[in-house]
Amino acid sequence: MNTTFNDAVKQCIHRLHSFEDWVLVAMLGSMILLATTQILLRNLFDTGIFWGDSLLRIMVLWIALIGATVATRSNNHIRIDLISRMLPPLAQRFTATLTFLFTSTVCITTAHYSLEFIRYEYEDQTLAFAQVPTWICQSILPVAFSLMGLRFFLQGLLSALGKEIPQGGL
Amino acid sequence: MFVICAGLLVIIALLGAPLFVVILAASILGFISADVDLSVIAIELYRITDTPILLALPLFTFAGYLLAEGKTSDRLVSLSQAFLGWMPSGLAIVSFFTCAFFTAFTGASGVTIVAVGALLYPALKQEGYSDKFSLGLVTTSGSLGLLIPPSLPLILFAIIAQQMGYGEQVSIKDLFVAGLIPAALMILLLSFYSLWENRSAPIAKQPFSWPVALSTIKKARWEIPLPFFVLGGIYSGFFAISDAAAATVIYVIIMEFFLYKEIPLRRLPDIMRDSMMMVGGILLILAVSLAFTNFLVDAEIPMQLFHVIQSNIESKIVFLLLLNIILLALGAILDIFSSLIIMIPLILPVAIGYGIDPIHLGIMFLANMQIGYFTPPVGMNLFIASYRFNKPILELYRATIPFMLVLMVALLLITFIPSLTLMFIR
Repeated sequence: MNTTFNDAVKQCIHRLHSFEDWVLVAMLGSMILLATTQILLRNLFDTGIFWGDSLLRIMVLWIALIGATVATRSNNHIRIDLISRMLPPLAQRFTATLTFLFTSTVCITTAHYSLEFIRYEYEDQTLAFAQVPTWICQSILPVAFSLMGLRFFLQGLLSALGKEIPQGGL
Repeated sequence: MFVICAGLLVIIALLGAPLFVVILAASILGFISADVDLSVIAIELYRITDTPILLALPLFTFAGYLLAEGKTSDRLVSLSQAFLGWMPSGLAIVSFFTCAFFTAFTGASGVTIVAVGALLYPALKQEGYSDKFSLGLVTTSGSLGLLIPPSLPLILFAIIAQQMGYGEQVSIKDLFVAGLIPAALMILLLSFYSLWENRSAPIAKQPFSWPVALSTIKKARWEIPLPFFVLGGIYSGFFAISDAAAATVIYVIIMEFFLYKEIPLRRLPDIMRDSMMMVGGILLILAVSLAFTNFLVDAEIPMQLFHVIQSNIESKIVFLLLLNIILLALGAILDIFSSLIIMIPLILPVAIGYGIDPIHLGIMFLANMQIGYFTPPVGMNLFIASYRFNKPILELYRATIPFMLVLMVALLLITFIPSLTLMFIR
């Protein structure tokens, strides 16, 4: 019973990872293609896709947020971390738990308020480019911050239990 | 209340919370104290889509990751050895050039030490350079090249300055020209030091040979056009910076996967993912700091900072010296991207108040950061080199100090002779 549950969780995490990887790679791939197409059109034919540059800028945001979400799997973020190295193991465990939970709270707060922001945009029905409404472009904000918040929360639980983040991340 | 919260945030940062979260929390607190609805955070985060040149960042990073994955480092070392190896202290000079070039294209993420330093270190020792000198050289050179285009920190500085409204004074094109002489000065001084240090070491000179030189050119035939193509395109005005980045990616993909065929195609998704994890980390900090910078500007903190500093320090020279000391310390603790993102919004208005050219400030800032990479006790390159070459960290401290002093001389020259950076642009 317990092992099947464990396997199911592992399977879920694995699927989520592959999905994120896939989206990230597809985004970067299409960004490269679109940027190149724009250069060719501009320099050879003196034209360009009208909404291409707007789309490229939004793709940068998506890539940044998905990339950061993927980096959160194994807590691979830029940090200062001067004190914790010098602490004894038990204190280290305590402060790590505290830091993770704080981090998770900040991410969830951000997710919550960006959802609210998107609700306003949805009501206004503003357009980002072509026929695409702005709220769709912004929808990555709550998604990415919720996922990061969840990951940081789980990492906080792990460190409270004195366990390491598993290989390949959460 | 404000002081307590700020203090708690600093402690949480030092305990290892991700930097983006610390800045995000600071701006949340700022907005709460100013009674602003918190959904403004999302508006601020979304503002990174207003900056077209940001596109260059993921593209150049990806190209750099691809170059680091292939065998460019091998070919680069043999090419410069064939052309510069005949000089006294030839291999040391080769190392400076190769590392600088490699870092310019791959960013100073430590990959230079791992990819190029690992080739050069045994080669240097074999030619008769002392262990201490060789170790110091490869560790120091790991961040040489930050000032050479198209390095990511240069681009990031321009992005931040432009977002603060100094776009008129800080164009990427000017910045790309401004870094060249200071970078050349660093390489020159380091080369003189190598000559002096090894004046009595038993180092055999390699005679120059045309057949060898031609064969290394032939091997590196696809890489040699790259800098000309990228930089030529930018300087001539044919490419905008993000166009140059896209063209570089396409060029490097064709080169690595179809001409040299040295990276298997199935590695591509992993390289894409890994490079975008790094981009995500940097851009997220940039995005949250936009929110924070706005709060700072609204609260007129840079102006207040300027008044406080100016009432205590009248002379520009003292200010510059002090700035160098602070930045060196900062560069040793923080990684270069976060230092840029956090400090530039605070320092740039103050420096302009003292009559310092923003481009000069940018180059000075990066020169400090470059030294910070191997400043004891926590410079990142020291740990990477210690790990890679399996040497105790104390030995690395000793080995890098002479190089650090040489680069400090270069830093002082860059700081106090602004025309070194500005001669071709102002």
